[in-house]
Amino acid sequence: MSIPLLNRRPSSGLGNVRESMADPARNIDWILMGCVIALNIFGAFIVYSASRPQLTRLGLDPYSTVQRQIAFLIISAVAMILTMTIDFQLLRGRAEFLYGATLVLLVLVLIVGAVRGGARLSFDLGFFSVQPAEMAKVTTLLMLAGYLSDDRLDYVPYDTFINALLIMVAPSVLILLQPDLGSASVLVACAMGVLLVAGVRIKYIVMISLFALISGVVAILSGLVRGYQLDRFKAFINQNSDDDALQNIIFQVKNAKRAVASGGLFGKGYLQGPLTNGSFIPVQKTDFVFSAIAEQFGLIGSAMVLTLFGTILWRIWRTAQMTRSQLGRFICIGAFTMILWQVFQNIGMTLGIMPVTGFALPYVSYGGSHIVAGAVLIGLVQNVHMRRLR
Amino acid sequence: MAAVNSRGRMTTLGGIAIALLSLLVVRVWFLQVVNAESMDERAQAIRTRTVRIPPERGRIFDSQGRIVADNERLLTITVDRETVKDDSVRAELFSRLSGPLELPAEDIEIAFKSLRNDPLADIPLKVGVSEDTALFLRERGEDYPGVDVREDWKRDYLYAPLASHVIGFLGAIRESQLSLYLSLGYEPNELIGQFGVEQTYESELRGTPGYIKYEVDTLGNKLREIAYEPAIPGQDVVLSIDLAYQQFAEQALQTQLKVRQRTEAGKVYLAPGELDPGYAEVNYYKAPAGSVTMMNWATGEIIAMASYPTFDNRWFNAGISGSKFQSLFPNTQDPDQSILVNRAISGRYNLGSSFKPFTAYAALNSGQLPGGSTYRFKDEGTYTLESIDRSLCQQGVKCVFKNAVCSSSGSPCRYGWVDVEAALAVSSDAFFYKIGEQIMTQRNTNDILEQEVRKFGFGSSTGIDLPYEFSGALPSLALKKKLAESGAITEESARGYYVGDNVQFSIGQGLLSATPVQVARAYSVLASGGNVLRPHVVRYLLAPGTPDSKPGYADIENGRIIRDLRTSQVISTVDMSGDRREPILRGLKRVITGPGVTSDYYHKTTGEKLFANYPYEILPIAGKTGTAQGFNNLPWNDSSAFGSFSLALNRPFTVVAYLEKSGYGSQAAAPIAKCMWLAIAGQWRLPEVFPAEPLDVASTAVAKSQSMPNPQCLSTPYTGLRE
Repeated sequence: MSIPLLNRRPSSGLGNVRESMADPARNIDWILMGCVIALNIFGAFIVYSASRPQLTRLGLDPYSTVQRQIAFLIISAVAMILTMTIDFQLLRGRAEFLYGATLVLLVLVLIVGAVRGGARLSFDLGFFSVQPAEMAKVTTLLMLAGYLSDDRLDYVPYDTFINALLIMVAPSVLILLQPDLGSASVLVACAMGVLLVAGVRIKYIVMISLFALISGVVAILSGLVRGYQLDRFKAFINQNSDDDALQNIIFQVKNAKRAVASGGLFGKGYLQGPLTNGSFIPVQKTDFVFSAIAEQFGLIGSAMVLTLFGTILWRIWRTAQMTRSQLGRFICIGAFTMILWQVFQNIGMTLGIMPVTGFALPYVSYGGSHIVAGAVLIGLVQNVHMRRLR
Repeated sequence: MAAVNSRGRMTTLGGIAIALLSLLVVRVWFLQVVNAESMDERAQAIRTRTVRIPPERGRIFDSQGRIVADNERLLTITVDRETVKDDSVRAELFSRLSGPLELPAEDIEIAFKSLRNDPLADIPLKVGVSEDTALFLRERGEDYPGVDVREDWKRDYLYAPLASHVIGFLGAIRESQLSLYLSLGYEPNELIGQFGVEQTYESELRGTPGYIKYEVDTLGNKLREIAYEPAIPGQDVVLSIDLAYQQFAEQALQTQLKVRQRTEAGKVYLAPGELDPGYAEVNYYKAPAGSVTMMNWATGEIIAMASYPTFDNRWFNAGISGSKFQSLFPNTQDPDQSILVNRAISGRYNLGSSFKPFTAYAALNSGQLPGGSTYRFKDEGTYTLESIDRSLCQQGVKCVFKNAVCSSSGSPCRYGWVDVEAALAVSSDAFFYKIGEQIMTQRNTNDILEQEVRKFGFGSSTGIDLPYEFSGALPSLALKKKLAESGAITEESARGYYVGDNVQFSIGQGLLSATPVQVARAYSVLASGGNVLRPHVVRYLLAPGTPDSKPGYADIENGRIIRDLRTSQVISTVDMSGDRREPILRGLKRVITGPGVTSDYYHKTTGEKLFANYPYEILPIAGKTGTAQGFNNLPWNDSSAFGSFSLALNRPFTVVAYLEKSGYGSQAAAPIAKCMWLAIAGQWRLPEVFPAEPLDVASTAVAKSQSMPNPQCLSTPYTGLRE
């Protein structure tokens, strides 16, 4: 392909437009792509600044964490390109299989998963570990979008609604059992977004909300939700509590807020954040990565990151708007709500306006599975964008 | 239709997204711009840790450069509480520490669990490790997380118990002092001077603490040093005390008290020759306490200041238990047994006849005596008040005052015709009773005696640089009223200031109370020809870090003097012109050398026998004995006083001894002064001063008792130079 391109004469008719305007390869959303890449690169720098102090103190290579992050970014790039190349209509055909496989993995992880911090979240594969919950975000979205688009209706009948709910609930419950409240909430957010756009009646949305609320209460009462998740909520309700059990969480959030505040307008400068350098904020390179951004780069950096996310969301929304395929639209809307929810919840908890829930900031935080899952979501959106003219 | 609905719903979703992102932007704006500064301060505070560096306390030297208070560097291994919160982490760390600390891990755990540990500070694991151990652990900070070395200083008194009352000791800040010391920048658990020079010169001795500021992480691990301010050691203090004289004075005092405790006190007579059957049994002197003060009358410097009962000031940082401390320093209401009282500055004493020189001055200076020094008075052994109506005397007012009893006759001594000089030499009470009454009545001014003796510093504190000085009290109507209020005397007797009060006052009895250091200063006024000095125990303050000249000695000659206290400390002067001083001086000289007076038979002066062989030509001295009557005028309650001074400008000293409940001034106090004078004159070798043995914490004695290797100088008469 490249050889004729190089040999092409400048005067040969339409010249370089040798293929159709509708060729998917010509319809990549570069703005979306650029924003994601920018966040990825910026994220790698932040991950380095947030992981370096602790590594130095332990006498380890200060670059070891960021090196793994870069490896994950490369893997995620590959995963995204693969996702983009396969027509999403074809993927629709595999949705049931992928969804089923995910459910199996979610069951398996409960049995043989590696225990970390009292939870079974991942399979330990030696060099890296895989979190099936991240996989579930993609496959559940595909399943849900596929199921809802099959009817080609502009509203959601009651039984369809119930089935859609079940599609979401099955992996959610399994994820809650791990327990991973955060990832489960992402699936709920995804379903709510897709169902809203699919034309579900408002009272159903209210029902989902009630369902989420009730299941939350049930989870707490049944002991499915660990004490610490309850504590996180209590710590959020009363951020100045003297309760000893809450001190760790309060300490974490307080220091995160201090880090954000001490960044001021221009920030302390890269690698100059005292709170970041002192490792004052637990899990800063994953859940609390925004505090490292805000401390080092101030309001300018925070605003830039929020603008990038805003642009990403706008481009996804725009794709959903433009596509002629209902399936494509639902996929985009699912991705949109998931990313929106994760960004809002993650940054919100760092700023103290949301309770602490353990999940990463998409495209920025350190991590393997969530980076790949995020890339695949963008891949799907690009996929829709590339084939929007069909 | 479908598309419109779908678009509408997507617009809703987009709106939600915009709302949520806007919320984040507003919140970030609020935190980073509106709230930024206040949060930033808190962020600063939490990430730094300041470690205090205690300053080395100034050292204390005696006038010869002997190091009497030194500091021992004390290295303490500590551990951060948070780092070893986890039991298994702690057990592992302590087992690795047990090697370097040379302690079983169990013992380290016991130290860690001790209830005496400060709940906020790092926990001390071992106190007093070697420099090598400290260095070893410091270099391996990574291997021993949370372990740190704390530097402290331990006060060491090398010659304890010598001069413990003067040097003092360190103690914890008391509850009542806390707010003051906190405002001065002290730590609540710091030790401060709580007695003696350690207390008076606390601010100079303390120095200034330094600090190191570290940047730390959440675990308290030091990341880097941010700021370092070295501690500034305290100023060194050079005492005017010479330990050789100090030791000699303490030895003489303790030896003499022991001698007096084995001495039979005089009998009680009802009438001449008739013993009181109520006191038939033999009584010994109790001789519980006393003091010796040696002062330079030209400068006010105190050369020696002994007080008994004494104590070893090392007990205060020996780490003994509360009950042990209670048994060493019992809470007592009995003034005889009070240990933590420097009797030389806090003793509230009647002075007896040793006060007479000042009464004599009052009479001469105010022109009370017709003819001044030539005035003669016939001492008949008793004195009957002339100004009181006879009928009143018969109604119970005390009108007749007696002289002291002469042991040869068993009745009050009769000295016949005496002038001021002779009256002082033989200590004629009647002569001074006469003065006392005359001063009260002739000029119709009631307080001439009080005014005159005030000039010598009686009745007001000397301003000596030692804490807890008693300022003394002079008899007056005001004092009587005050005493009546506190219940010490009856309301009835406080109704007025009577002639009888003044008569008692004139011989140093009654309501007069003074401290030995006031007496020493008053005699110094006579010696120096009128200069009222501020006595002081510190000669000068040196810049921190005076080097040692040889082991045990500091090079005080070459130290940089920061504050010199040798410069004139004259507070006021007393007019000694004309015929005021000489008759008194002649009388006091005669006390030492004789002769006495002849009336019926020859009466020796009070010191004549004791000082019979004193080498007067080598060092001329003058002095006055005093016997202060105690409870019920019983002989064994007599306190013994002796004030003396040299007449040589090259050795300008004053020596005052006061022994409680020890008998006549000439028998108990004067011999000690004689020993001191022999030593000052170079006729008696001062025993060498050696550093003390380490304190035996098992001992039950509050201070090791001291005695003279050769007590011959105390005996009467002295027969030549002895080793």
